[in-house]
Amino acid sequence: MNVDRVLGVGAVLLAIPVGAASWGFGVGSPKSPGAGFWPLVIALTMAGLGLWLILRPTPNAMTAAGESRWGKFIVSLGTLAFYVVAIEPLGYLSATVVMLFVQLRWVESRSWKSSAAIAVLMAVISLVLFRVLLKVSLPEGVIPLPRGW
Amino acid sequence: MDTIGALFHGFAIAMTPGNLLAVFLGAFIGTVIGVLPGLGPTATLALLLPITIGMDMVTALIMMSGIYYGAMYGGSTTSILVNIPGEAASVVTCIDGYQMARKGRAGPALGISAFGSFIGGTISVVAVMLISPFLAETALKFGAPEMFALLFFAFTCIGGLTGKSRAQGLLMACIGLLLGTIGTDDIQGVDRFVFGRLYLQDGIGLVPLAMGIFGLGEILYNIEKREKQGSILETPKSLLPTLQDWKRSTFPIVRGSFLGFGIGIIPGGMPAIASLMSYALEKRVAKHPEEFGYGAIEGVAGPETANNAATAGGFVPLLTLGIPTNSVLALMLAAMMLHGVTPGPLLLLKWPDVFWGVIASMYIGNVMLIILNVPLIGLFVQLLRVPYGILSPLIIMFIMLGAYALKNSVSDLLATILFGLMGYLMKRFGIDPAPLILAFVLGPMLENNLSKALIMSHTGNPLFFFSRPISGTLITLAILVLVYPLVRWGWRRAMGRSQAS
Repeated sequence: MNVDRVLGVGAVLLAIPVGAASWGFGVGSPKSPGAGFWPLVIALTMAGLGLWLILRPTPNAMTAAGESRWGKFIVSLGTLAFYVVAIEPLGYLSATVVMLFVQLRWVESRSWKSSAAIAVLMAVISLVLFRVLLKVSLPEGVIPLPRGW
Repeated sequence: MDTIGALFHGFAIAMTPGNLLAVFLGAFIGTVIGVLPGLGPTATLALLLPITIGMDMVTALIMMSGIYYGAMYGGSTTSILVNIPGEAASVVTCIDGYQMARKGRAGPALGISAFGSFIGGTISVVAVMLISPFLAETALKFGAPEMFALLFFAFTCIGGLTGKSRAQGLLMACIGLLLGTIGTDDIQGVDRFVFGRLYLQDGIGLVPLAMGIFGLGEILYNIEKREKQGSILETPKSLLPTLQDWKRSTFPIVRGSFLGFGIGIIPGGMPAIASLMSYALEKRVAKHPEEFGYGAIEGVAGPETANNAATAGGFVPLLTLGIPTNSVLALMLAAMMLHGVTPGPLLLLKWPDVFWGVIASMYIGNVMLIILNVPLIGLFVQLLRVPYGILSPLIIMFIMLGAYALKNSVSDLLATILFGLMGYLMKRFGIDPAPLILAFVLGPMLENNLSKALIMSHTGNPLFFFSRPISGTLITLAILVLVYPLVRWGWRRAMGRSQAS
């Protein structure tokens, strides 16, 4: 499968709804362009480039050799999704400890003990650095933090 | 104030304790991230952007520029000792640098790389200082048509100089432009592509986009496709090149300095391109080109000098025209804008402290880097021994923290992950993301100036651009850049036919 051809098809398919939406924003005229004028120019350029890539694709770039680790990739993405959902209700500290622990234990295959130790240590250090020292507002959540943190 | 007087004023700003600390931190962090594969200067700057909001503008910029040129220094260490480039700009250094190290000459390779970087960086800063005021004065005469023409020319160069093919680079740039249109239109107040989402009304933030594509995308790629880390060669005791090494490296360093600076000021002229071109040039002019690939010191000296010279050169269009030539400088532009400073021709008049403070800090930073790099090379090599399995989750933590901290927004986290997936796919299929980020930053300026220029024309006729000498020249150059590949393709086709017949 040629990457350029796939990109080209994607670009043409994307250009159609973008172009249609641009009409809806109001294209105006060349001497008084509307809000849709610029997106329409982009859509037309994208369609042209897409067609060019379909007709004149370049060979695929060499990809690096190495084992594919799809399982770990999915676990990692799942952890990130969990982080989005959990950071506000659970708080920065708890959500970060869980995310780091899962990444270290199941994505990077480190031991239970070192995963737990690194996760807790790094979450606390980053909390002190950002929330306490740099005064970045991070959610407190379920674990009460010491006064002044 | 003359240039020398202004430079002394810059030194007075850069040498305050806070700014000296910023230079040191920038140079140190830059070297560390340059050494570590997986976290480049773009992701680091995106990560630090929320923190810089609370800092003084000049201090923040001094630190950010230190990170940028520091990363170029650090990138060579991994190339030479592990055969893995810490930065894209150090890819070619692997070829001869690692071969030198395998022959027991890691010291001279690292040494010439550090000295070349210092010389290239310093020559380039002098050139930045001399050229910028002149260019800024010229750019003051620019109206909307000239600015649009300049941006359009920059846009065509970005598409052409980066990426696997020009069409692919331009398509990525179009996607960046499209992402830049999301949100409420500045001129007419119309919501574009917001799909009823409040979050999208303000437009997509540069931080989630840059951190997702450059930071998370890289990490996700490394999780999915783990490459075996090469064995780390012994840290050399002495980094001093021999007299013979200096003889062979002098001209490559001089050529690398000027070539790098020249490439750096062209939109899309990234340090990686400067180092590649320098390598090709050195191989072509070398007395013994057959030594290239087997440990020729010219193959280390030239490219390492060129990438540092290009780094400093990129500050010319950024500070004088407000045009970032690569993704790192795009983030510096964003940092300036967050502080209410508009980079461009007025920067020198309205905010001379920013301009001269940054320039002076680059002199100090280059000296600091050579002091840091030569004796501390052992320490930086130790960093390479930290397993990637520990670094990778920590980098993810900092990316997510940075994405959330900017606006305390969960939507920003989600956007970072989505752009991370996009960055992963781009890396997986060998698509260069740099044109996308650059076009995302340049897009609103391009649109505003196009609208203003068309309104100025009273007729909407695109030929209006050719009625003004500067815009006419720039548009002509842009068209030449665009049609050149078509002409070349047609020419090759015609030649192929005539040969076949």
